[in-house]
Order: sequence, then structure tokens, then C-alpha cells
Amino acid sequence: MEKTKTRNSLLRNAGVQSLLASLLCILIGLLVGYLVLLAINPAGAGKAIATIVRNFFYYPSPSAQMKYLGSTLVKTSPLLLCSLSVLFAYKVGLFNIGAAGQYVVGAGASLYCALALDMPWYLCLLAAVAAGALLGALSGVLKAYCNVNEVISCIMLNWISLYMVNTLLTNVKEYSSPYTLTLASTNPGALIPSLGLGSLFNNNQYVTIAIPLAVLVTVVIWVLLEKTKLGYELKATGFNKDAAQYCGMREKQNIILTMAIAGGLAGMAASLLYLTGFEQWSCTQSAVPAMGFNGIAAAFLGGLNPIGTIFSSYFIQHITSGGAYVDKTMYSSQISDFISALIIYLCGFVLFFKYALNNRLDRRAEREARAAQAAANQEGGER
Amino acid sequence: MEETYAVEMLNITKRFPGIIANDNITLRLKKGEIHALLGENGAGKSTLMSVLFGLYRPEEGSIRMGGREVSIKDPNDANALGIGMVHQHFKLVECFTVLDNIIMGVEPSKYGFLQKAEAREKVVALSDKYGLRVDPDAKVEDISVGMQQRTEILKMLYRENKILIFDEPTAVLTPQEIEELMEIMRGLKAEGKSILFITHKLNEIVAVADRCTVLRKGAYMGTVDVADSSKEELSRMMVGRDVDFAVRKKARAPGQVVLEVEGVTVASKMHKNNAVKNVSFQVREGEIVCLAGIDGNGQTELVHALTGLVKPSAGSFSLRGVDMTRDSIRERSKLGLSHIPEDRHKHGLVLDYTLEQNLVLENYWKPEFQNRGFIRFKAVREYAQRLIEQYDIRSGQGPVTKARSMSGGNQQKAIVAREIDKDPELLVAVQPTRGLDVGAIEYIHRQIVAQRDQGKAVLLVSLELDEVMSLSDRILVMYEGEIVGELDPKTATVEELGLYMAGAKRKEAV
Amino acid sequence: MALLVQYTLIFASVLVLVALGGCFSEHSGVINIGLEGIMVMGALGGALMLNFLPPETSAFMVVVLTVLAAVALGAVYSLLLAVAAVSFKADQTIVGTAMNLLGTAAATVFVKAMNTSINPNNVSSTIQYIAAKKAFLVKLGGFEFNWFMLLAAIALACSYVLLYKTRFGLRLMACGEHPSAADSVGINVYKMRYAGVLISGILGGLGGIVYITAGVSEWKFENGVAGFGFLSLAVMIFGQWRPSRIALAALLFGLFRALSNVYTGFDFLMALNLPSSVYNMLPYIISLVVLAFTSGKSRAPKAEGIPYDKGQR
Repeated sequence: MEKTKTRNSLLRNAGVQSLLASLLCILIGLLVGYLVLLAINPAGAGKAIATIVRNFFYYPSPSAQMKYLGSTLVKTSPLLLCSLSVLFAYKVGLFNIGAAGQYVVGAGASLYCALALDMPWYLCLLAAVAAGALLGALSGVLKAYCNVNEVISCIMLNWISLYMVNTLLTNVKEYSSPYTLTLASTNPGALIPSLGLGSLFNNNQYVTIAIPLAVLVTVVIWVLLEKTKLGYELKATGFNKDAAQYCGMREKQNIILTMAIAGGLAGMAASLLYLTGFEQWSCTQSAVPAMGFNGIAAAFLGGLNPIGTIFSSYFIQHITSGGAYVDKTMYSSQISDFISALIIYLCGFVLFFKYALNNRLDRRAEREARAAQAAANQEGGER
Repeated sequence: MEETYAVEMLNITKRFPGIIANDNITLRLKKGEIHALLGENGAGKSTLMSVLFGLYRPEEGSIRMGGREVSIKDPNDANALGIGMVHQHFKLVECFTVLDNIIMGVEPSKYGFLQKAEAREKVVALSDKYGLRVDPDAKVEDISVGMQQRTEILKMLYRENKILIFDEPTAVLTPQEIEELMEIMRGLKAEGKSILFITHKLNEIVAVADRCTVLRKGAYMGTVDVADSSKEELSRMMVGRDVDFAVRKKARAPGQVVLEVEGVTVASKMHKNNAVKNVSFQVREGEIVCLAGIDGNGQTELVHALTGLVKPSAGSFSLRGVDMTRDSIRERSKLGLSHIPEDRHKHGLVLDYTLEQNLVLENYWKPEFQNRGFIRFKAVREYAQRLIEQYDIRSGQGPVTKARSMSGGNQQKAIVAREIDKDPELLVAVQPTRGLDVGAIEYIHRQIVAQRDQGKAVLLVSLELDEVMSLSDRILVMYEGEIVGELDPKTATVEELGLYMAGAKRKEAV
Repeated sequence: MALLVQYTLIFASVLVLVALGGCFSEHSGVINIGLEGIMVMGALGGALMLNFLPPETSAFMVVVLTVLAAVALGAVYSLLLAVAAVSFKADQTIVGTAMNLLGTAAATVFVKAMNTSINPNNVSSTIQYIAAKKAFLVKLGGFEFNWFMLLAAIALACSYVLLYKTRFGLRLMACGEHPSAADSVGINVYKMRYAGVLISGILGGLGGIVYITAGVSEWKFENGVAGFGFLSLAVMIFGQWRPSRIALAALLFGLFRALSNVYTGFDFLMALNLPSSVYNMLPYIISLVVLAFTSGKSRAPKAEGIPYDKGQR
């Protein structure tokens, strides 16, 4: 009796429910991914899905594993910030699908400042934040003053940003390839310092303070949302913008501010990747980078909790990196994009899952209460 | 032998998570009678009717028609059995025409293509026969509430329904329109229709009903012949105790002017005309001024302009001599304006916030509750606990209860507590008792009168005539955006008030 | 000039088809952000059919079978939205977004797997359909008439009749405006919403194959449909959810999209010496500007985006 009670209250806990829902999403996502691999080529499916889940364990030696864990982490930090960007806007009732575009202008701003203007890394980072914030604020203004659905304006801006950044960065690209110049050869001062972190990961030169910086930003966002007056206001606006207006919160400014913060986060995300030198920008790319969209997956998978997104971002990046190791003669690396898209889809069902779970618990509680009542009555009758 | 009952609902029980909305209720509707279903808000009247209409399935009990048990799984079944319903909130598609709304669901069509001509003829014939004036080609969003209701009635007649359910049909009508509706109901009865009439207004039952079934808190209280009963008896059955509807107020001379409204005009969001036209009035210390009128005559827009939710296109508001026309909502609140909003779910509460978070909605920014941008959680908790105790706000888990899970009455109490505790100069209360039960209504009336007795100025907006007459010191009647009359509740009659509300009478100099 | 008209018409056809799809879905009360993914799936279905049809198939059969394949895949894929949004009351924005990502990823995975299984060195994400595509085209002097243009015009006329003249249209729009009113007169809101979403799947899928066959080169599935699903949504909003106005809006947007394909043929445009990316951006910029001016007084279906729950009233 006692045991079922504690189990019930545990199941009722919102955090536990979110965790269960996320695990379920992951499980189903991987399962369907496996089925798709089976359908494509049954021979290597088991191995391929294992490869995706194992990621850096693909390498036999512990030192190589450490190194590639580092590489996964390098890409996790921008993903974490992208997911924070999505999460932050969502808390205020806005769907920031524009994280992808804000990420693009962040990359453009930081690389241009680094390569063309010779700025040190922290200025490049700030430029990325500013560029992202500006783009986000633009969607916010369109939403607040022109009633333009932010999803549609964000998508339009994603494409506009992509073409603009491609044009801008053509000025600082290598002569013979579509890629931008490397930071190490052009402006080493624009590389985010490692402060010895790289040596922990078998001298992975790309492991820098970008990683702890991302975690720090996460904590700041959590505090901002949960502990401050601004967070209280923004969440109230997200839940019920009419009530927020009624009690004197400035709804339009809050929408713009929110989108600016969300944009700044996504812009910063890009600088945390491109200023490590891990990747160069390809000026001929014709699709918006997936990082911003994966941020959506991580945000929802993390139960829309900043701390939760730390783990979910890592997981999404883990399988995305793992996707690169699958046997290319049989499968394409997009299988991990497929799995993360599937996970976003499944996250749409989380509300229903919680509702169904609570309903079940309610009914069970009611049944037990009635049984207890009946038992008590019977006892009374026997006496 | 001919069956005397048109429909019998026997031992109906309907549960929702946490509550029993209908507990073993029996209702028998005779053929050709008007049967009233009486109960307070939340007594389970609408649930019972929804069961009859096929919107809900009951857990226990049965429905019999013509001596046979019938199963009503959805509105189609109800319709096939000749049951029709006018819902409290009209089920009309606003951007469709009256005709489209009437035929929707039973559209005459050939190969899927609509044949509106024949439908139109039938509707015109019906509206002539029963005296239900409508314009079949007008869009619902452009017509009056009375005409919308007639559209709903025509919907039932078009389907040739025999059993007609009216769910709180008089809430939105003027006294004259109510009289007209009663006449229509008598006409329908004369044509052999059986009518179920849901209400919580005793006068209407006495005026039109043959029998009356009373519900209280989901339980069956009994069925009586209206002719053999009295209003007092019915009221006791409904509430469970003697109710004193009179509001006790001390005589009090109004003091200085608190609110001065001058020449205010507000544009309408719905149509091209102005919603409020050149309105001027004052509210003084220690008086309750009531803006009366039928819903949609500019009261909402005027209040929105006064509280800062919309900008007026002309005119000014001043509070204790300070012009606040251009001030933000927050600044008006600082000047001493409190606002109990019309729609507590839309404006009054953040339903997904906890009770304590809602209680500080108007003052979370004060130094009391925040320090350099960080919320002082302990101060918030203490403040919430004081309000909960002082204003008797009941909830499952105290300050941390989600507002969504609280009852309507307690939600409203929380809003009232928050607004009154601000110690305002002017309290604006818009339909403060809508949808509440008698206990909560009495409580809120007492709070409003207490504010007045402390010398506060109160501006009340209400659609309930009883509330208007009993609570206010002065009545201003709004019709089509203008103040068309000022009445003294001590000398005016409800009929007189109704004539003003309907625009049939107006005083030029107020 | 003929080339500009030709491209304008073909892109307008895509926009009309997909915007009408969005229109049906939204009139039933479901916001379909996932049109982009549906287009990709339709494109995949059509392209596969084109690729696998034997070369000796008659032109008429090629058109019919390609359309059927695109429509079928689009409709099946749209079920993902219908099930989630209607039956499980999921957040329509999340689900739609997921469908866009999923559509592109799934199509890429599938096409690459197909290519590598035929030739292990082929990791491209394109399907060969250039030769088969000729079946759609009729040369009229310098102007290349495409059967899809006619199809779009027919879809437009049918949509108008279906929405405003039939029982189905009346009921569908009632579900998007006031679902509980529809429910109270015995209309099955869930069924109508499924119907609305499925029609959007059919039209979106068709739009997908038209889009990828509109250009001269073969389409890379990695790129999805480059925001065209969203441009169509902008067309739908600009067209105020009405077929006749959607047609005009589509022509306008089609013109700007066409410019990026043919601007080199106009001397005065070349004289401006703008980088090609400006023309690429143009349709997106125009749609933002247009939306900024028209969204203020939008007449969107009142109940769109809100899951209908029978139990709540």
C-alpha cells in the first residue's frame, strides 16, 4: 500500500513525467530508425544503429575515444545554445524556428569580424550575439506590430540570412575552395582560448572554454526564467498575453525582447563553433545548417527545462556525430537527422502522454478510494 | 393509451474527474408543457441537458421516449428523435449567413451541391408562422443578439424538433425582449411542442412554466407544479436555505469627484461605427455607479479605454483631478485604479500560474516583492497567505495551487482580493458575479458595498438587472455607445430601465 | 519574355496548389506548417514514378501516373499531421516543424540508399527524371506549356466550388470557425479535420512534384523544397484564405521567384549588376514585406490551431 502510494506520487511529479516522456521519445525514435535501416538493408542495420548510439566508442583506443568525445562536446555547446534559444522563446509563447537563421548570421558576423576585421575572439563573439539578437528582434517587431506569424517570418529570414551570409563571407574565402579562410592561419587571436581544456581530451585543439561557457549561459537562462521579475513577466506573457497586458506588462516590448534574447543565444551558438576553428563556412551551401533545427529537438526532448536541455543536447549531438560513422556503402549519415526529426515529432505527443498518465492515475486513485470506502463500510456492517 | 411524457430521463448519473455533476437525477417532460429546470450556476443543469442532447454519455441511468428506452450517442441521434437545443452560448458560425447556420448539418443538396433556394422558402415560412423576425441573408456577426437567438430557435423548427431545450435563454436579453421570448415559447407550446427551460431566475419560471424541477450541487431536489408553489419555496429548494436577495447598504452622501470622464469616444474593432460615442460622467467618493445596458452597447469598450487596454479616439479620463488619458496601464494602476475584468480567464488570471503568482500579478514589480530584478519568494508567499486567509480563498494546495484547478467562485475571489487589497481610489468591476453561485455572489456584493462604505468610488458594469437595481446608487444606461439615461434605483422600475436599455426612451440632458 | 511568363506560371502553379492545400487544412481548423515536408514527399513519389516508368510509356500515362504517385505519397504523409493534431491534440507547430525536417531527412536517406544500392560510388541525392519529364511539356513557339499549369487552374476552380457551393465546404469551414457549433448539429469535427488535412496532403504532394520538375536541373533532395511550403503559406495569408485571391497572390510571388531563374535575360536587370543572391532572396523578402502589411487585419479561421476536444465546451 505504502509502496504504491510513493510510486504514484513519483509518477505524478511533473519532472519525472517529462523524463519518462523524453526517454520514451528516444526509445521509439531509435526503434523506428532501426526499422528504417532494416528496410533499406537488413544486413547492416543492427550494426549501423549500434554505431550511431556508440558514436566515439567506434574507436578502440581510450585516447581516441576521449578525443572524439571532445569533438562531440565541441558541437554540443552550439547545439545547447540553439536549444536554449528555442526554449526561451517557447516559454514566452513564441516558436523560434528562426534559431537556424540567427545561427547563420551569428556565423557570418563572427567569421567576418575575425577574418576581415581582425578582431579578437571576444569581440567576434559579441558581434555574433548582436547579429543574432538583431535578426531575432526583427521577427519580434513583425510579430508585435504587424501581427506576422513568427514561424513564417523566421523561415523567410532563415533563407534571406543564408544568401546574405554566403555573399558576405565570399569576401574572406579561400581562393580555390568555397570555404572561408582558417582562423589559425589568418587571425589566431580570434580562436576561443582553450585554457588547457584541450589536454583533458587527448589534446583535442578544438576543445575550448566554449563548452563551460555554454553551460554557464544555460544556468543564467535558468535563473532568468525562474528567479527574476523579468522571467515572471515573460512567462506570464507566454501563458496568457491578455492577462499580461491587463496587469500592465508591456506585451509588445516583451515579445521583441524575448526574440532578441533568443536570437542572441542562437547567434552566440554559431560563434562558439566557428571560433574554435572546428569548421569553416562553405560559401556555396544551399541549405540552412541543421544546427538550429536540431535545437528544436533538443529543447523539447529536454522537457523545456534549461538544465534538461544540457542532457538532451548532448544526446542529439551524440547520435548526430554517431551518424557520421555508419557504413556509407549502405546508409547515409542523414539517418541521424531522420531520428532527431522523428524525436521532435514524438515530442508533439508529450502533452497527450502526460494527460493520459494523469488520467490513469486519477482513475486508479478513485478506484482505490472507492474500494477503501467499500471495505470500511463492510467492516462497519459486520460490527 | 397515449403516452403522457415526451421524454423521461431516469436516474441519470454523470461523473467528471473529481466531481459528480449529476447524481441520480430523474426528469420527466410532459407533452406540450413548459418545464423549467432550476438550479444555481454549477448545479448540473447544463450537464443534464447535454446528456439529453447527446453531448455527454451518462455513467448510469436511462432515457425513455414514448415508453421505449432510447440511446442518444451524439447530437444526430438527438435530432433524429426530435430533440433540439438553444445553447447558452449560441452555436452559430459568425461569418456564415443566418440561412447557412440554420441549414448546417441538414443541408438540402443534390450530388453534394447545396440547394439553398428551397431551404430559404422553408425558413421564411417558419419565421412568418412563429413571428420570428430574421434576415436569412444577413451574416450572424452583423445581427443583434435577439436575432441570433431567433436564428437558434429557427434551427430547431427547421429540423421539425418536438422537444425544445432552452439553456439560460434570457441572460442576454432586455426585459422587453424577454417578454417577447416568453410569448414565443407560449406560441410554441400551443403548437404542441414540449419545452425544457433552464434558468436560475424565479420570475421567469412563475411567468411561463407549468412545472419545475430543481437541482442543487448535482443532486435532485424534486419537481413541483409551479401554480402550487411560491418563489420563496423554489428559492429554498435551489439554494438550500433562505436567501435574502436584498443588499444592505447604509445611506451615504457621495463625496468629492474621483473619476471624471469627458467626451470619450472609442472606435469599434468589429464595425466602422464608434463603439462609444462622446460619453461623459463622474463617479464620486462613496458611491456605486452602475453602467447598465444590453451586452455589446459599448460598456466593454468604455471600460477598456478607461483601464488603458485600448486608446480612446477622443476625450479624457481623470482620476482625482489627474489626467490619465495617455498613461499606461501600470501608471493608472499606480494612480489608484483597480479593475475586476469582465473575463476572468482571458484577462484576470494566468491560469497556468499558481495562486500566489496570480495574487501578485498587479504588484510583483514593487520593491516589496522584488530586489534588483530578483523575485522575493518569501515575501510573495507571506502576502499570498494573508490574502488567502483574509478573503477566504479556498484551493487544493493553498498558495501553490494552479489557478486552473480552482473553482470559478474562488478564482473570482482571488481577483477581488488582489484588486481590493491594492486599496484603490476607484474600483472598476465588470460583471463581477457572472457564473457564480449564490454564496459567492453574496460575498462579492458585500465586498463591493464595503468599498463604497469606506468612501471608495465604484464603477460597476453589469448585465444582471437584479444586481443593477440592488447594488447601485446611480444607474447610467448605455445604448449604442451613448449614455441615454440616468436613473435612481430607489425610484426607477425595471420596466423603465428596460425601455432605456432597448433604446425606446432617452433623456436628452443627463 | 516568354521565358519569364513560363517560369512565372509554373511557379505560380506550385504556389496555388500548395496554398490551396494550406487553405483546406486551415479552413478545417488545422494549421499546416508541415506543407514543406509534404511537398518533399510528393516530389519523391513523383520523381520515383518518373524514374521507373519505362521510356516507351505514353505521355498521357506518364502525367497521370506521376500525379497519382505524388498525390498518394503526399496524402499518406499528411496523415502524420492529422493523427497527431486531430486525434492526439498535439501542438500543431511542433508536429508541422518535425514533418518538414522528417520529410527532407527521410527522402534523402531513401534516395541515397537507392542510389548506392545501384552503384556503391553514387552518394548523390538526386533522381534521374529529366528525360521522362518531357511528357509534361508542350512547345508553343518559345513558350513551354506545362500540363501542370492546367492542373493548377483546374484545382483552383474545383477548390472554389468545393468550398463555397457544396455541403462539404460549408461543413469544413464550420469546423474551422466554430467546431462546437458544427458538433452540435451532428457534424463529425474529427472526420472533417482529417479530410481537410488529407486534401492539403494531396495538393501539397502535387505541388511538390511540380516544383522540383520546374527547373532545368535535377533536384537535390537534401535541400528539401527551399522554403517553398512556407512561401505558399504566405500566399495563403496574403490571399486571405480565399481561392480567388490566392490565385492573384500566387502570380505575384511566382513572378518574383521566376526572376531569379531568368533575370540574366533582361538587359536592364543585368545593368543593375546585382549579385545573383539578391534575386534568390527576392521572393522571401517580398513575402516578408507583404505579410507585414497584410497580416494586421487577417481573416484567419477563428478556431485554427486549437485542438478540438469533445469533452470541453
